[in-house]
Amino acid sequence: MRAVRTSLVFVVLLFAVTACAGGGRPVDLANVTSVPGPSPVGVEENPSQSATSTAPAPPCDPMASFRPPASMPTPGQMPDGSTMRAIQDTGKLIAGVDQNTFLFGFRNPTTGSLEGFDIDRVHEIAAAIFGDPNKVQFKVVTSNNRIDALEKGEVHVVVRTFTANCARWQQINFSNTYYVAGQRLLVDRQSNVTSLDQLGGKKVCAAKGSTSIKTITEHQAKPIPVQVDNWSDCLIMLQQGQVVAVSTDDTILAGMVAQDPNVKMVGDRFTQEPYGIGIPKANVDMVRFVNGVLAQSIADGKWRDSYDKWLGRTGEQAPAPPAPVYLPE
Amino acid sequence: MVTTPVSEGPATPGTRRVLSLPATAARSVRKSAASTPGRLFLIGVSLVVLALLTGVVGAIAMQEKQSTIDSLIDHREPVAAASQQIYRSLSDADATAASAFLAGGTIPPALRDRYDMDIATAGANLAKASADVSGDPEAERQVNELAQQLPVYTGLVETARAYNRQGFPAGAAYLREASGLMRAKLLPAAQELYEIDSARLTAAQDAATSVPWVALGLVVVLLGALVVAQMYLTRRTNRLLNVGMMVATGAVVVALLWGSVALLLESSRVSNGREHGTGQVEVIVQARIVALKMRANETLTLVARGDGGEYEDEFQNLSEQITGDGSNNLITRARGLAAGQETTDLLAAAQKNVDDWLAAHKKIRELDDGGAYGDAVSLAISPDAKTSAANMFTQLDDNLLKALREARQQFADDTSGASNAMTGLTPGVGVLALLAAAGVTMGIRDRLQEYR
Repeated sequence: MRAVRTSLVFVVLLFAVTACAGGGRPVDLANVTSVPGPSPVGVEENPSQSATSTAPAPPCDPMASFRPPASMPTPGQMPDGSTMRAIQDTGKLIAGVDQNTFLFGFRNPTTGSLEGFDIDRVHEIAAAIFGDPNKVQFKVVTSNNRIDALEKGEVHVVVRTFTANCARWQQINFSNTYYVAGQRLLVDRQSNVTSLDQLGGKKVCAAKGSTSIKTITEHQAKPIPVQVDNWSDCLIMLQQGQVVAVSTDDTILAGMVAQDPNVKMVGDRFTQEPYGIGIPKANVDMVRFVNGVLAQSIADGKWRDSYDKWLGRTGEQAPAPPAPVYLPE
Repeated sequence: MVTTPVSEGPATPGTRRVLSLPATAARSVRKSAASTPGRLFLIGVSLVVLALLTGVVGAIAMQEKQSTIDSLIDHREPVAAASQQIYRSLSDADATAASAFLAGGTIPPALRDRYDMDIATAGANLAKASADVSGDPEAERQVNELAQQLPVYTGLVETARAYNRQGFPAGAAYLREASGLMRAKLLPAAQELYEIDSARLTAAQDAATSVPWVALGLVVVLLGALVVAQMYLTRRTNRLLNVGMMVATGAVVVALLWGSVALLLESSRVSNGREHGTGQVEVIVQARIVALKMRANETLTLVARGDGGEYEDEFQNLSEQITGDGSNNLITRARGLAAGQETTDLLAAAQKNVDDWLAAHKKIRELDDGGAYGDAVSLAISPDAKTSAANMFTQLDDNLLKALREARQQFADDTSGASNAMTGLTPGVGVLALLAAAGVTMGIRDRLQEYR
């Protein structure tokens, strides 16, 4: 009897001990705690100041350019020794453009051809030189490479939402202003942000080498500048929730709104961005010629047609074409 | 018989007896070694134990070798092939997506199918490769990276497609992001995984060709012991021969010869399969990867439209690895390793494809740099034009793939030949060891009986 009881106690104890000691745990074979989201190639957060700031330039009127010649040469018969003649002899105008900015310079994915308000300007210049608007070789340049491409002579002109300012006038020439844009903010539809002042410590996107990234970097509210290679990269970063706002020229932002109705443009214009066509410093005759082309295009209504075709779809009131300002001769 | 002194204590007599067994044994061994029959008995027992031990160790060694070889064919090489297939499919998907974008409009069905096929192939091979990575944290990391990022990549490509259909340039931006993800994360992980699997294959081949020193040592010791024992017997009993011992010696000699010949054959076939099979596969795979990278760079240069200088530089740098007469040329190196005429011919055709492709590429660059962008694009991606870069690249890839299959076949032939060389060796070694043990028992028993 006693032996039975003893062994019973022993067995119960044994069970108790094994029950406590057998601390099995559920095993997680894969433990993923975070996954880095994809981001555009070449994106940089908080770029070093030297990349965006330039030496202060002497004051100037960035919109003032050289007066066009009294009479424009006939297409296909450029005056001997002129820059235009050299271009005519090579058989094509090499234009630095953008292929990623909707409404200004973008590749139409359906046809594969480049289109937009800037691209129309290029065709007008080609038509004036050759009598054929299609004698153009487009060369895509990033915002950051525009001045470089002109200085190295890789392109004859740059037509790429190019703001004329005094610092850039030191390095290259600009044509007359063919459009005046202004920097604004683009945010998600749900957002109640209306100005850069509300974005201290928040990420705001703009393209490398643009005037916009400089404005963001130098803003007193100290937003975190995020710079990318192409403007459309800013749109997809906003869509992917990697930045809270995009800030640049309202025209570029309008192109983004046209692509995605879930983003909206807010606040007032807080800068003035006169767009000019970039031309190498040495080619003043070319600047005069291009100014003549622009004046003609405004006079015969082509500028207006082009505006309606591209920028008209944003619903903004069509402004009067910018009046040319000429440098004192 | 109780040989241990009994003393008072808590331990029972039984336990004490057990505890004192070793001492008892040692004492009795010493006692028997003093007389000749006792010594004979000890020699017999030792030889039998040694023979059985040699048999067990030898059989296990042979069994291990056999399974190493079999796993080369069934497992290691297929996994390495699967991981190279992952790289190939992903890289091709990237180049195809870029081509489809260049083509404009809705995606041409051929390109769409090719992309879908690439993604499906990559996914299926990834599943196979991931079943194999446990225990190798580095390989596991690569598989994780691939498994986590591949769906992200395809998501970006689909978003790009949706925007492209609407005619918005945001599509191009998503495609650039997708391609960036592929080049920065997926392809490096796939390449790393392939290198790991390839190194594991080589390590398994090393194991298959290594000499089983322990087993070999035991056989030699056993043989020596048998010879010494017979010399001792001859001296003690004045009889020249002992049938049992001769049988035992014969069995051990047969085992040694059979094993040596089989292992030599096996290791030479495995080495052959390594040199002309997997070694060649590795070189061809490298050539293929180079060609794929070049193709991606070629299309991306056109996508960038004048802003793609670095892609073109990379193309030119890479092209040095599959052109020229030097040892840098991977295709030439693969030809040097080719075992059959067929592979040599395929690689010669591949070399010609490379030259034609580079000629087409040169023309594409001239057209693009000269302003004829549309012509450049169509020469690059059109499947209709016979001399288009797309066709040249496809032919090159096909020829490399065929050469790759030949080389894999070579590996499979050689390695299964190696496996055949080992046929029956495992049970054979066991049986021969038993025979040796039986011979020793017989021979010693005969002599012991003479002492009765």
